[in-house]
Amino acid sequence: MRMVLRPGPDDLKLIGYYLGKVLFGLGLVILIPAIVALSAREWNAATAFIIGSSLCLIVAGLSEALLATKRSLTWAHGMVIVAVAWLVGAIFAAVPFMLSGRFETPLAAIFEAMSALTTTGMSVIHDLDHTPLSEDFYRHLLQFAGGQGIVIVVLSLFVSGGAQAGTLYAAEARDERILPNFIRTARFIFAVAGTFLVVGTLALFGALTFAGFTPSRALYHAINLFFASFDTGGFSPMQASMAYYHSFSVELVVMVLMIAGTLSFGLHFALWRGDPKNLLRHLETRTLAVTSTLFFATLATGLVLAGTYDSATAVFRKGFFTLISAMSSTGHQVNAGVTYLTDWGVLAPAALVGAMAIGGMASSTAGGIKAIRVGLAFKALTHDIRRILLPESAITVTTYSTGRRQVLRDATARSAMTVLLLFIVTYLIGTVTALLYGEYALTEALFEAVSVGSNIGVSIGVVDPLMPQGLMAVYTVMMWLGRLEYVAVFALVGYLFAIARGRTNA
Amino acid sequence: MNVSMLRLLSLPLAILVAITAGAYWLDRVAPELDLDVVVDVPPPALADVPRCMGENDSAVATAIGNQFPESGRVTSSQLLNCPRAFDQKTVTFTGEVVGELIMRRGGVWAHVNDDPYALIYGPLVGHSAHVGFNSGVAVWFPDGTHEIIETVGRHAIRGDVVKIVGTFLRADPNDGGGLTLRADSVSVLAEGFTVDEPLHTLQLVVAAVLLAGALAALGLAQFVRRRR
Repeated sequence: MRMVLRPGPDDLKLIGYYLGKVLFGLGLVILIPAIVALSAREWNAATAFIIGSSLCLIVAGLSEALLATKRSLTWAHGMVIVAVAWLVGAIFAAVPFMLSGRFETPLAAIFEAMSALTTTGMSVIHDLDHTPLSEDFYRHLLQFAGGQGIVIVVLSLFVSGGAQAGTLYAAEARDERILPNFIRTARFIFAVAGTFLVVGTLALFGALTFAGFTPSRALYHAINLFFASFDTGGFSPMQASMAYYHSFSVELVVMVLMIAGTLSFGLHFALWRGDPKNLLRHLETRTLAVTSTLFFATLATGLVLAGTYDSATAVFRKGFFTLISAMSSTGHQVNAGVTYLTDWGVLAPAALVGAMAIGGMASSTAGGIKAIRVGLAFKALTHDIRRILLPESAITVTTYSTGRRQVLRDATARSAMTVLLLFIVTYLIGTVTALLYGEYALTEALFEAVSVGSNIGVSIGVVDPLMPQGLMAVYTVMMWLGRLEYVAVFALVGYLFAIARGRTNA
Repeated sequence: MNVSMLRLLSLPLAILVAITAGAYWLDRVAPELDLDVVVDVPPPALADVPRCMGENDSAVATAIGNQFPESGRVTSSQLLNCPRAFDQKTVTFTGEVVGELIMRRGGVWAHVNDDPYALIYGPLVGHSAHVGFNSGVAVWFPDGTHEIIETVGRHAIRGDVVKIVGTFLRADPNDGGGLTLRADSVSVLAEGFTVDEPLHTLQLVVAAVLLAGALAALGLAQFVRRRR
């Protein structure tokens, strides 16, 4: 550790300068619900949003005036900026929640903001069914901002240098370079989101109108549901979540949006270019196809054995929908959470836990371990078995496709295994923490820990506005870790250590 | 770690603490209303319904079902704790209609909450009773039963509180396996009303001051950028 150099004040200023840019973006995002609140004559909500936005803009303005620098970002800076941005961003985004009167403690408001930004979708809001329109819209809008990556907002709009932006892009767990230039990649992601925003909202509006909603209410639900579904967030305008709508057509549109949200942006790019073969041979697509088939078979068997549903329609609308919601890391529910415990038997919830742990694709808005890592871990395992079975002189080469065919290297497999292991350790920490309170059964504690740690949002009932504050704090950190997939957070810890114990640069 | 580094690190932390504490305090001093919205409902037919989970859940469900009287009152938490105990039984359910009446051929779907916001405190506006999530059940109101419902609960609106006698279905085949209550008869116990949300004047002043501060900070940033 003696070789670790202590960062200087200039490094901290550089980090502060970029954090200011992130807060500038967040301040603009918070202004949108302020406009909604003013137009809906929700005065207290409007002033809460103006306060939240103004605080962001004050810090952004002062950082621009006092900390501006032309120094280049290093990878360490990028990692630290992203890790801190997600924490500080959640605190600033929580200000309107703290002022809403719907959160008992500041921690609960920060939990809600972190859940929204990380697109987890767990909520601790009191009395959601009487929430102002603008506040509800804000919750969903945050999922959109977080799902697209708040740092990407900075990249594409406020940062001029592509190389500078690249370090932030990768640190935000978005390591797939779709286009040679990071700015163009970020803008492509916006183009995809923008297209889906228009098409998805229209489709939901049509389905909701067909389902019996008035046009104005259909539009309100459609916009919020789009944000929550495409960005695999899982919030809902009503406490009953998707069960509120009683509509197969709404569920179908939401399922399509959830699947679209869980596809990596690289695959979206391939599909936009008219290259569906890329989708079929991609390791992640194949991993998700195999695992979702296995999990659905297990889940359906579990539901039949438990006698939960006696028709294929019910198994599809409740079982398949929930599985897609879990695998895409969205978290929409077509059942009250406690019924997973009291009406789904044992096997079906176990299948859900497995699906939630794996999550969706890398470089998408989905959470979880990610299909690519599970696929790579499986490939590494079969590679080792083949090496044992073949003669010593034989050369074994394992390949996989992520858009182009690649040879599986030890470093790649080790990296995938490490993150996989870290996720499992996080699930265990969350489970044990819940069990320590003595209020939850093992099934509940494990289910919820996996759901929170993977940024899923399907709840069995542990997450609640009245839950213990210590557990709420642990879950908040788990959502942060899960979204950044550990690397940026470890870099932050290392940076803090270097500040405290590193050597000064002579 | 030298003094300037400590200062650089502690300043942002102090700002975050100040923002959080300030927002918390501002929320605590919000003006409150003196609302009296308690709806008098009889206690549930069964005092306690344990969660039906584990190996012996069907035996527990059967025992609870046998104890439950015809058309007895249930709460949503009891229905969710042990859905099988009440499956296809006639129950009485009381709660506030929230969201909207979703029009369908032959009737409407509506969500009916029986949580403390619905029956005791009213919508979370102008009071600070934090009593958790909303809780309720989906109700199918056939034509001829829903016409008496005039107000649905939304922000600052307490919807009609209705008493429903109907059949509880744990996995309703006409709702894709949803957990529903099929209403046979409905009566309104308390009519809905709008709550006049009091303006939080202090919050308005703080918002105006901070907005001016934000404009000044952005102006300063622009000025410094031009001089550079």
